[in-house]
Amino acid sequence: MIVIEDLEVRLGDFRLLVGRLEVRDGEYLMVLGPSGVGKTVLLHTLAGLMKPCRGRILVDGEDITSTPPERRGFALIPQNYALFPNMSAYDNIAYGLRARGVGEGDVRRIVTELADILEIKHLLKRKPNQLSGGEQQRVAIARALAIKPRILLLDEPLANLDPRLRSKAREFLKNLHQELGFTALHVTHNIVDAVYLGKRIAYMEEGKLVAVLRPEEFMESEYAKPYVDDLMPVFRSFRGRG
Amino acid sequence: METCRRDYSSMSSPLVRGEAFLVTLSVLATLLICFIVVPIAALFLMVDPSTMAEVFGGNPMLASQARSAFIVTFKASLLSTAILLILGVPLAYILARYDFPGKSVVESLVDVPLMIPHIVAGVMILMAFGRRGIIASLTGVALEIEDTFWGVVIAMAFVSIPLAVDTVKVAFQSIDPMLEYVARTLGASRFRAFTTITLPLALKGVIAGAILAWARGLSEVGAILVVAYYPKSVNVLILEWLNVYGLRYAIALAVPFVLLTLALFTALRVLQGMVSKK
Repeated sequence: MIVIEDLEVRLGDFRLLVGRLEVRDGEYLMVLGPSGVGKTVLLHTLAGLMKPCRGRILVDGEDITSTPPERRGFALIPQNYALFPNMSAYDNIAYGLRARGVGEGDVRRIVTELADILEIKHLLKRKPNQLSGGEQQRVAIARALAIKPRILLLDEPLANLDPRLRSKAREFLKNLHQELGFTALHVTHNIVDAVYLGKRIAYMEEGKLVAVLRPEEFMESEYAKPYVDDLMPVFRSFRGRG
Repeated sequence: METCRRDYSSMSSPLVRGEAFLVTLSVLATLLICFIVVPIAALFLMVDPSTMAEVFGGNPMLASQARSAFIVTFKASLLSTAILLILGVPLAYILARYDFPGKSVVESLVDVPLMIPHIVAGVMILMAFGRRGIIASLTGVALEIEDTFWGVVIAMAFVSIPLAVDTVKVAFQSIDPMLEYVARTLGASRFRAFTTITLPLALKGVIAGAILAWARGLSEVGAILVVAYYPKSVNVLILEWLNVYGLRYAIALAVPFVLLTLALFTALRVLQGMVSKK
């Protein structure tokens, strides 16, 4: 289990405060909140790319707050996927394994297995600029999963996809999680992503974690109101036309 | 039919304006190319074949001077470029990736050799590292740079710093730092992330920086005259022959130098193009 305790991160005038947040083993936790609320700061702090000025991050009771990113085993998938443009899809997926000194035979086996699961076997020789947005996303997920991370940190991975591809990718992520059972913390500002994918939703406002709720609880809560209010006029207008 | 004609004229009008713009650009660009090509052509047209034959064979003394000057110049400029890459790439990376107090001062310092006359740069190098320089008076150890091969190398390196560092810095700045962050979360150390991701992606810029630094080193004369007149580099020898034997001999030495550097830099640009296509 990953536990965030009493965390405070400062970035210029911005302050991120997280009282307590638990990510259970195998859980798909969504972090929802409007843009600029500090979701990415939270993700980067967990990844070890930013230092908190207060608080602790614990993995199975072990304090890893000062552990460098390369020794945390937290795999980050940023919004633009950040595939290495100088490498093929195969080498991208193999990158973390080679960095950990895994032998080439095992690298080949793991990359091929993941490529099978993610249905990207035919793309392995391609460079990132020869892949579509959805294909890039799958390669990025394979690259992150290859190292068997303690947690997958996903920063708005669906934001760059068009609506049709987005719903497909959402379903794909849900199925993949059910199949592999990895632990994930997925940041989004999209309520549909949060409710569809999350076992629980951690809701953030103005730099603070304000609630952690199950999706059905969240939809009943006051926090869902701005999202619902945003969508209702659209539904009403369609009902009016019907 | 009338509508068709009207449509046609309204479409052609911006096209014509666009062409006029292109023509203006081309004329101005051609003027600048001529500004470079005409002096090179003039130099080649002024060559006296008999003087050239004398310099490169007929007169053993002149031939030997020319040969050793070429060797000194190319060896020293290559060494200064290598030194600048070893020391300049880390500095360029730090300036591109990190913010720290006094960063703008460091950036201005890097550009100092661009701003000062190179004769003054030569004086500064002597006052810093020479026998009567600050380092010697503080430590008792002086670098052997006055009238030595290493003096030529140091003078070339000093004046080339801005071209090497600034070009490589821009190359690093153009690479998304998120690539390195992700590499680190996958288990790569800072060094591995740098050598496997950032440096290969910046390679085109590093080569461009090396080409510019090398070119600057090859063309340097001011600082070399002050620091190390001996061993004579090509530029020093051209100046000497101009003063002692006249223009014909200076041209006879300059033409093969220009030809050789032109061929080398064209080859390097081709190599740079191949790297960027990879």
